[in-house]
Amino acid sequence: MEAFSILAQLTDEGAKAAEAAGSAGFAYGLAAIGPGIGIGYLVGKSVEAMARQPEAAGMVRTTMFLGIAFTEALALIGFVVFILIGL
Amino acid sequence: MLALEFPPINEILRWQDVFPSFNKVAAISVLAALIASVIFIIAGNADGSKAPRGVRNFAEAIVEFVENQIIMPTMGSSGRGWTPFLLSLFSFIYLCNVPGIIPIIQMPATARMALPLFLSLLVWVVFIGVGFKHQGLGYLKNSLFPPGVPAPLYILVTPIEFISTFLVRPFSLTVRLFANMLAGHILLVTFALLTKELVQGDSVALIPVGILPFFMLVFLTAFEVLVAFLQAYIFTILAAVYIGGAAHPEH
Amino acid sequence: MLRAVVTYGSEGPQVLLTAEGGEEGYSEYTFADCAIIPDGESPGTKIESLEACDEGPSPIMPEAKEFFWGSGAFVVFALLMRFFLYPRLRRSMDARDASIREAHESAEAERDAARGEVSSYETALAEVRAEVAARIDAARSTVEQERAARLSETNEAIAARRAAASAEVDAAHGAARAQVGTAVATVASRAVELATGRAPDPNAVSRAVDELMNTGVSQ
Repeated sequence: MEAFSILAQLTDEGAKAAEAAGSAGFAYGLAAIGPGIGIGYLVGKSVEAMARQPEAAGMVRTTMFLGIAFTEALALIGFVVFILIGL
Repeated sequence: MLALEFPPINEILRWQDVFPSFNKVAAISVLAALIASVIFIIAGNADGSKAPRGVRNFAEAIVEFVENQIIMPTMGSSGRGWTPFLLSLFSFIYLCNVPGIIPIIQMPATARMALPLFLSLLVWVVFIGVGFKHQGLGYLKNSLFPPGVPAPLYILVTPIEFISTFLVRPFSLTVRLFANMLAGHILLVTFALLTKELVQGDSVALIPVGILPFFMLVFLTAFEVLVAFLQAYIFTILAAVYIGGAAHPEH
Repeated sequence: MLRAVVTYGSEGPQVLLTAEGGEEGYSEYTFADCAIIPDGESPGTKIESLEACDEGPSPIMPEAKEFFWGSGAFVVFALLMRFFLYPRLRRSMDARDASIREAHESAEAERDAARGEVSSYETALAEVRAEVAARIDAARSTVEQERAARLSETNEAIAARRAAASAEVDAAHGAARAQVGTAVATVASRAVELATGRAPDPNAVSRAVDELMNTGVSQ
């Protein structure tokens, strides 16, 4: 009987691992949505600004990279969470 | 079926010590500092009175890039004193990132937590130090109690400012560099493994399919060149923004 | 089919899973395939799978040795950059910039000097041109005057000749006319004498003839 409970524990752990992997994938997928939209919007607007005022392109580009860096941080935190719980 | 077995994450990140307490990542970071020093020593020894050529031209291009693209837009000309620090930050991070795509080495030193953590802690210490040096205790007042906010809102604003300035900044700086390089590394590993399994697998029919992940691998390698540069640039420019913001309170 | 062998030992129950009919203990992995060979294990020892490797802490954890080596390398590099490498590069870059600027300025000065020379040359040229034009004008006016003088002289001569000729012509005309008048008067007085038998007053005849001739000429 005890052996069975240990086996059950083992499979339980396996199920937990699978569940963790699944939720890790979920976490990363969800974390990628917002920054994806955000970066797309940000770069689109920056390109528009650069096309309207090519002489201000350098400044816009610098600010764009800063904005991308801040927006991207969220996705990367999602990625770290993915590694922490999934692997 | 495919015998595709992804190695445990530590398998692709941890390295046997070359000798006790010195492994591949440490070797890469030491090598990066060494290569950067050698480049700048050669550049310094070259004849500077003529038009720069070769290594010197390269070094001067980096210096001017840091001055014109990183310091000028964020700190203005008063930040020129920070050029050596930001220059060494930029070249060191870049040279630590780039081994991720160099064959045989294939490991960015910044894909491990230690190096990004140290660099962002350094930037954290530096920008707080600069804040206290330039504004005295007023730095805390300016950053925690931003002027122009109604007094009752400080209950809300002050904790947010504290967290975002003193906790989130080093954290996001670390995580951004580390996670970008780690993600790139894992992507390269994934496609390399997939290519290997398809080409060397049991099924002959799948061998031509192996070309697809191989092309993806080539494309991602080219992409990693860009990422290595971009992450070094972003880390340095954020350091410049933080230092510049600490030196001059917001208007 | 899996077979579970459960044994009780000093460390509690232990489970050994074996695949029936399979090669027991077969594995293509050895410890040499691991990233980190666990302490006290030889690389040649066969292992079930990579799970048996020393997985170590979470990949997020910073490793002390990497931290210290990396920080040491960076700090040394940054100090070298701050006190030795960058100032040298900057100094020579500044020196070159200054020399280039100096060269620019001297080139600018030279260009200005050259421009001054060009402008003085141009003023001299303009002066010479003005002189040439003045001389040409003077010469032209002299020629003009001379021509006008000659022209008037010639015109005067022509006028004098013409006057002389016309005077001659008039004299001849007058003489001819007088002769014609005398002849006409003679003829007329003769005719009147023949008709009337007496000689008319010669003065009256000559006057009548004159009148007639004058009317004839004027008509």
